[in-house]
Amino acid sequence: MASEASPYRLLGTRIPYIEGPLKVSGRAEYTDDLTRPNLLVGRLLRSPWPHARLRSIDVSAARKMPGVAAVLTGEKYPTTFGVLPITHDETALAVGKTRYIGDILAAVAASDELSAERALAAIQVDAEVLPEYSDPHVGLGAVAEPIHSRGLNGSNIQKEVHQHFGDVDAAFAEAAHTVRVRGTFAGVTHAFTEPLVTMAEATPDGRLTVWSATQVPHYLHRALSEVLGIPLHRIRVLKPEVGGGFGGKSDPLPHEIVCAALALETGRPVKMLLDREDVFLTNHGRHPTQNDLRVAADAEGHLLAYDLSAVIDGGAWSSFGTVTTYYNGVLAMGPYRVPNFRYHGRRVYTTKPPSGAMRAHGGTNVRYTIETALDELAEKLGMSPFELRMKNALPPNSTTITQFRITSTSFLACLKAARERSGFDEKFRKLPYGRGIGLGCGFYISGSNSPIHFTPKMPQCTVHLKADMDGGIAVHCMQADIGQGSNTLLAAIVAEVLGVQLERVHVVPVDSDVSPVDIGSYSSRVTFMMGNAARQASERLLALLLAAAHELTGYPAKQLRVREERYEVAHRPEVGVSYLEALHKAMEHSGALQASGAYTSPPMGGTHKGARAGTAPAYSFAAYVAEASVDAETGFFAVEKVWAAFDCGRPLNRLAVEGQIEGSIHMGLGQFMGESMNYRGSRLLNPSLLEYKIPTPQQMPEVEVLLVGADDPEGPFGAKEAGEGPLVAILPAVGNALYDAVGVRFYDLPVTPDKVWKGIERRRAEGTPWKGT
Amino acid sequence: MASRPLRTRVNGTALERTVPDERILLDLLREDLRLTGTKRGCDLGTCGCCTVLLDGRPTLSCLTLARSAEGREVTTIEGVTPAEGLHPVQRAFVERGATQCGFCTPGFILTSVALLRDHPHPSREEVARAISGNLCRCTGYTKIIEAVLAVGGGK
Amino acid sequence: MHLDPFELHEPATVEEALELAGTLSGKFDYLAGGTDLLPNYKMHINLRPHLISLERVSELRGVSSNRIGAMTRLAEVEESPDLSRAYPGVAEAVREVATPLVRASGTVGGNLLLETRCFFFNQTYPWRQSLGFCLKADGDRCHVVPQKERCYATFSGDLAPALAALEAEVEVAGPSGRRRMPVEHLYNAAGDGILRLSLVPGEIVVAIHFPESARRARSAYTKLRVRPSFDFPELGVAAAVWGAAEAPEKVRLAIGGLETYPRRFDEDTDALAGAPLTDARVRTVAEAVTRRVRPVHNTFLPPDYRRRMTEVFVRRTLSRVRAPNGSVAA
Ligand SMILES: Cc1cc2nc3c(=O)[nH]c(=O)nc-3n(C[C@H](O)[C@H](O)[C@H](O)COP(=O)(O)OP(=O)(O)OC[C@H]3O[C@@H](n4cnc5c(N)ncnc54)[C@H](O)[C@@H]3O)c2cc1C
Ligand code: SF4
Ligand code: FES
Ligand code: FES
Repeated sequence: MASEASPYRLLGTRIPYIEGPLKVSGRAEYTDDLTRPNLLVGRLLRSPWPHARLRSIDVSAARKMPGVAAVLTGEKYPTTFGVLPITHDETALAVGKTRYIGDILAAVAASDELSAERALAAIQVDAEVLPEYSDPHVGLGAVAEPIHSRGLNGSNIQKEVHQHFGDVDAAFAEAAHTVRVRGTFAGVTHAFTEPLVTMAEATPDGRLTVWSATQVPHYLHRALSEVLGIPLHRIRVLKPEVGGGFGGKSDPLPHEIVCAALALETGRPVKMLLDREDVFLTNHGRHPTQNDLRVAADAEGHLLAYDLSAVIDGGAWSSFGTVTTYYNGVLAMGPYRVPNFRYHGRRVYTTKPPSGAMRAHGGTNVRYTIETALDELAEKLGMSPFELRMKNALPPNSTTITQFRITSTSFLACLKAARERSGFDEKFRKLPYGRGIGLGCGFYISGSNSPIHFTPKMPQCTVHLKADMDGGIAVHCMQADIGQGSNTLLAAIVAEVLGVQLERVHVVPVDSDVSPVDIGSYSSRVTFMMGNAARQASERLLALLLAAAHELTGYPAKQLRVREERYEVAHRPEVGVSYLEALHKAMEHSGALQASGAYTSPPMGGTHKGARAGTAPAYSFAAYVAEASVDAETGFFAVEKVWAAFDCGRPLNRLAVEGQIEGSIHMGLGQFMGESMNYRGSRLLNPSLLEYKIPTPQQMPEVEVLLVGADDPEGPFGAKEAGEGPLVAILPAVGNALYDAVGVRFYDLPVTPDKVWKGIERRRAEGTPWKGT
Repeated sequence: MASRPLRTRVNGTALERTVPDERILLDLLREDLRLTGTKRGCDLGTCGCCTVLLDGRPTLSCLTLARSAEGREVTTIEGVTPAEGLHPVQRAFVERGATQCGFCTPGFILTSVALLRDHPHPSREEVARAISGNLCRCTGYTKIIEAVLAVGGGK
Repeated sequence: MHLDPFELHEPATVEEALELAGTLSGKFDYLAGGTDLLPNYKMHINLRPHLISLERVSELRGVSSNRIGAMTRLAEVEESPDLSRAYPGVAEAVREVATPLVRASGTVGGNLLLETRCFFFNQTYPWRQSLGFCLKADGDRCHVVPQKERCYATFSGDLAPALAALEAEVEVAGPSGRRRMPVEHLYNAAGDGILRLSLVPGEIVVAIHFPESARRARSAYTKLRVRPSFDFPELGVAAAVWGAAEAPEKVRLAIGGLETYPRRFDEDTDALAGAPLTDARVRTVAEAVTRRVRPVHNTFLPPDYRRRMTEVFVRRTLSRVRAPNGSVAA
């Protein structure tokens, strides 16, 4: 939609993925496609108990079984790890205790799968069963046997957050309107198509090499070093192609460390491919959550306050949970101005598979709660849902009460585009019974400002470039392309700045021996941070090339312009040199050219406890309208069309941005319509892609993507994130559309047909008609 | 443990080898023949990543015994890729952004190639139905359907 | 996931297969398309050391307008214009099975005989072990209805109700010869989720036969499931109506996906013959049927909902076929 012509040659167009031809021909190499001579198969013995004290694990029989090279139990590697340095509470294998059905008790490396499985079956585990805690509410108070010793006051609370900005009670006292809702959310999981898999090899030179399906090679690198006690520089981490992550590969995961440990143990390469059930049990998906929200507004519809409390089901470990607990509160702070805010969040350990970060981490459930509550509020006010939001939109260059720095926002443009394109005003409350339209909005961080680092002063991303005689440009960076297209963007930025053809740029696969650190693909940070680092590196390389062009043409670099494969004098275009001429000239001085660029986010945020959580150098904004139809007799519904207006600043690769939005809508719809981790007690009932209900192509609505963002002042070429923000708005848009269709509010996700049917029946029984029915 | 000789054709080339009775076609392809373009996503028939063409028909190699290929023709993603360049369906997937992480992609390509062979100009609904046994977690199917329609001359 | 070693047998005729079955008695399973059996084997459910593949038994193949060989792939049925025209209810049911990829391998015989399903059964060996094995595999209790020593696993095939509504017959071959019976008699109404079939050990399903009258019926199948592909039926309603709209000769209703066997409701539908299928009469039958079904909680959707949907689905399915154009004046 951004109408002005792009000032860029490549950026802003539709750039097919550079590795696309490899992927469509089956030639892209994922971890399980790799092999090594003399390879062993690693398998895991998982806990059958939700909570138990381990008395003994007898592996003597297993060790003697044919084909078995090694059997490993927890005590050998008791060092704890975890993605957040402040909450290291995981061990590679269970030590002393097991905390969920699926905790790793032992591991085997054997010549083949069958031998490994037989060895697992021969392991004898003696354990004392402890009370299971599947309900986080039970763990809020003191319990007989806390899951972790770090639980607060003998409870299972892993993290508790109290925040209060302004004066919420006073705001409610003077409010003309209030709304109170409780949103309940089942856990959902990433369900990437490529299962978790790792291969590791220890070699006689004392080095350990690990290939893994990870989105955080650097954090994996560190966890391996800490737990295995090997200095970082003796470990080499490689990230082959990764078949999707969505946050599920953004923790260092126990099987990765176990696989490496087995390689050390045996001196042979070991591959560990997890079964689909294992992947479900590893989880780290979106937290089951209960959000209680009160909203206060004045008579004109200005928001006065949010009062929010949350109970968050963490599962067995901390993972990203401390961040989740903060995010579930502070990500309420956009896209509207909220002058008073109180939040009480508690994340509670349970004896279930660990929850962690999943696409739009911490922002999805709270967003649904808010956006549906605002729909109720608009109805109370007799105001269009659009008017309510326009009235409260955060302006550009403002600060939230939590001290988030809002620079660019095109939220109003999003609202306008979605409203007009969808014909919302002609449809809202006017469609026949069973058909409805709804608005949901969103806001998300464009890269967490706080790197999980040794020292926050180090850059979050570094990019190295090398141009050599062949004219090719090798790009090194540890950013993890997991399908979102970051390799393509990296190459495109380099090509754009240097003016070279895209095919000259080779993004070297992640290899910790040569890739400078980027902290990984999470928190929607890659485009923003890697993009800026890549731009800086490219500009530095360009300076070398322009200096050479100056030598060749006699014109100062300042007067030279970058053209395709050519540097020419701005006012005398006929005078210029080709890229190769400039390169070869420059190389006379130094050999292959090199340049490095880095990104460090600027200081920002308040000084209160937890002030860093939710700070980001920029934020994305969204306004989605969904139109849905409901079969009132069965509760089945279809989302017919979605108008997705999104502000990601300048979209640098439209193809990729659209793909992120469409994919996010599909994933968000899944959480809304049917995906859920179903438990009986602590037991996961549906660890399969058959019973975990990801929407099929027939359930996918038509999507009209409306990209309306203005340039962000700090984003690379004006860009912001588009990887996670596009998810949050779809859930409330559909929830509000269902309300418009049948007059029932749904606050308990997923909204399966039986719930819709029940809601309709209830409304009927109450005798309150809706749109004449 | 029983084994017997298997005679089949894989990507146009005759193959003769002894395989254990319980060998699954997916394992034969990936582990024995190292045709790793065929992916293992679930091993249980629930994702379609392992799709191959068996006598031209898209089939789940994870639920097919290698023995079932006896006397038949197996085509994997390696087999539809021309020596030079790409098959039109592959090209459309690249150009239209129908592949993101790419893990589901070989399966989708094979399903789509077979669909377009039998129905050169499918409708949107026909495409959606035809690919409804292949799971994609990245794309929301939007661009996959667009790519198939584009090859079929639709929009 | 690997398969534990087994020996595969590949007979070429029904007789050879039966002979093998005799020798391997109790130690084998038949293998058709494998789309039901192999996932269960991968999960180490009720393994046998021998598999007798029916793939090469040519007699079991082939589709004609009144016969479907048991080894016919669901995709072949789907692609047969003759069958689709003659038996729309069967065509609808076939199109709704699993996914196109599963239908490429899955057979008609396998669909009729597929294992009953339950959340506590269709799980890996470690999963089941951790909960405690159940009656249906390796154990001695039921996790769905713990008070009873009975298995409530759900019959989840789509074809059986569609065929039963059309009064199709199934031909089976066994050690003591061949026999034919109505499709619904394949199932053991007096049994449970384990003793679910009426077949004697070793019997092979050879083919489905349609009676001449089936071609004259209007038939339909409606399936309840969360997603329009992949998912097994949580309720599947098949209906067939013979004769004029004003005075149907016969109405048949068969329901799967709810209980341990697919069930016909002739007691209820016999009353519908002879008078127009008005909305009111359709509703009465739908309600009567709904009162008699007893789903339990071992599938994705709650049993109360599935039971209540029975009324809606019976009504809708019958309404679709009550007259050539679907509508009848009330
Ligand atoms: C992801 C997925 C989704 C599915 N969804 C559905 C669904 O929605 N609806 C549905 O109905 N099914 C579904 N199925 C189950 C299955 O694929 C079908 O029922 C299929 O038709 C089974 O046929 P098959 O030939 O593969 O059976 P097999 O697995 O080969 O056999 C099934 C059983 O029947 C026995 N058997 C097979 N043929 C004969 C014969 N001729 N004589 C004697 N015994 C025989 C076998 O011994 C075995 O016990 C699904 C399967 C998967 C993997
Ligand atoms: S119904 Fe009971 S006995 Fe039958 S499979 Fe389920 S748990 Fe087992
Ligand atoms: S691997 Fe075969 S369907 Fe998933
Ligand atoms: S592109 Fe990732 S699963 Fe389809």
